Amino acid sequence: MTDEANRRRFEALALPHADAAYNLAKWLVRNDHDAQDAVQDAFVRALRYIDTFRGDNARAWLLQVVRNSCFTWLKENRPAGQTSLDADAAALEMPGPAADEPPAIAARKDDRARIDAAIAALPFAFREVLVLRELEDLPYRDIAHIAEIPIGTVMSRLARARALLRDALAPGARPVLREVPRPTVNGRA
Amino acid sequence: MTTRPDDEAERLSAFVDGELDLQTHLAIEREAAADQNLRERIDELRRLRQSIREGATYHAAPAELQARLARLATDPSVESAAAARATAPSKAARPPIGRAAAEAAARWLAWRPLAASFALAGLVLVTANVVWLHEVRDERLADDVVASHVRASLGQHVVDVASSDHHTVKPWLSARLDFSPPVAELSLPGSTFLGARVDYLDGRPVAALVYRQGQHLVTSFVWPASADDSDPAFARERGFETAHWVRGGMNHWVVSDLNPNEFRIVVDAIRQQEAAR
Repeated sequence: MTDEANRRRFEALALPHADAAYNLAKWLVRNDHDAQDAVQDAFVRALRYIDTFRGDNARAWLLQVVRNSCFTWLKENRPAGQTSLDADAAALEMPGPAADEPPAIAARKDDRARIDAAIAALPFAFREVLVLRELEDLPYRDIAHIAEIPIGTVMSRLARARALLRDALAPGARPVLREVPRPTVNGRA
Repeated sequence: MTTRPDDEAERLSAFVDGELDLQTHLAIEREAAADQNLRERIDELRRLRQSIREGATYHAAPAELQARLARLATDPSVESAAAARATAPSKAARPPIGRAAAEAAARWLAWRPLAASFALAGLVLVTANVVWLHEVRDERLADDVVASHVRASLGQHVVDVASSDHHTVKPWLSARLDFSPPVAELSLPGSTFLGARVDYLDGRPVAALVYRQGQHLVTSFVWPASADDSDPAFARERGFETAHWVRGGMNHWVVSDLNPNEFRIVVDAIRQQEAAR
């Protein structure tokens, strides 16, 4: 029962944040198809509840809906053991360097793959605050709102996430890609 | 406050993000000027931050998804299709209720004598668990309450609405929460009502009312409770005084670094003000 005004509000408030929504979803569920579904579900919900949105921060509001839709998706689609969201399959999606690339570009790609894999290997709770902070450049206050945790917890999780990344990316660190456990057999990689 | 290694890492991480209050920020700058080791740690954090920001992949929404989302705003049928897809699997997975009940009844009749003893044992276990879980949950909550109070006083976020007038603060909170918390100034000498913010505890948005008593901050968290009324339970958590009670369908957690005697006086004043309205 969405009326015309709500649709216009949705266009003005939610649609401009499609990139942020997909980026967050992709980092949280770590698979393109599922991220697209999670984002679409989130936007359907956003459209349905857009008349309850008051305030001035549509991006944080929308990302909270996206985050919850990813969280629900992960709970429903991962066996209980994996829902603690430790390192798993996504790092396997990283493209390897192509053989005929110039060395400088290959090295940069290699860096990117290492950084992406290190972030993907972070446990969910650390990954979400890190992505919101470093890739969306959100203040702690907004991150607390989106993840529904106290600001103090944002602060401690970010510090912890950074310590984990520092260790993973340190020269001579064990390569993150090889630490990833095999996906389980129940069809979800 | 004592400085554990973790606290130090958090402080530096928030420093690099520019999320500390000005005073703490300047204090760290002064420390760093005199401390080579600290400077290196800060530089390392900054380098890490930069390499993540430049190096990590930002996943922009694919054109196909953009188009699907845009269609939501113009075509109502897209919405229902997506909603149907979102709810369909869980419905399909559930067995018909009638059959499940009949099966349960049949099993019950066959196993009645054994089941009774199992049920009793189960009840005992559940009760023990509920009590125990409740305690664990309260402990974790106390930890969150203190953490929230500490970070707020350390950072820039003591209050979102700075006003000593409850006629300003109450509507501000009501507009942002799904409940209307009791808001009151305290009639205590040396007490100032600084205002309020919305914070997150126990997985939900809560009202945080902030007072200054002498040199000390007092934070009073309020949110709806499902439990029955209870008297204040006082405790000490990481050197902070806490009090917790339920009244009139509201959870109350108060936390401060006041000394225990003054803390009790403040808690009494909060409870009196609240009872008066």
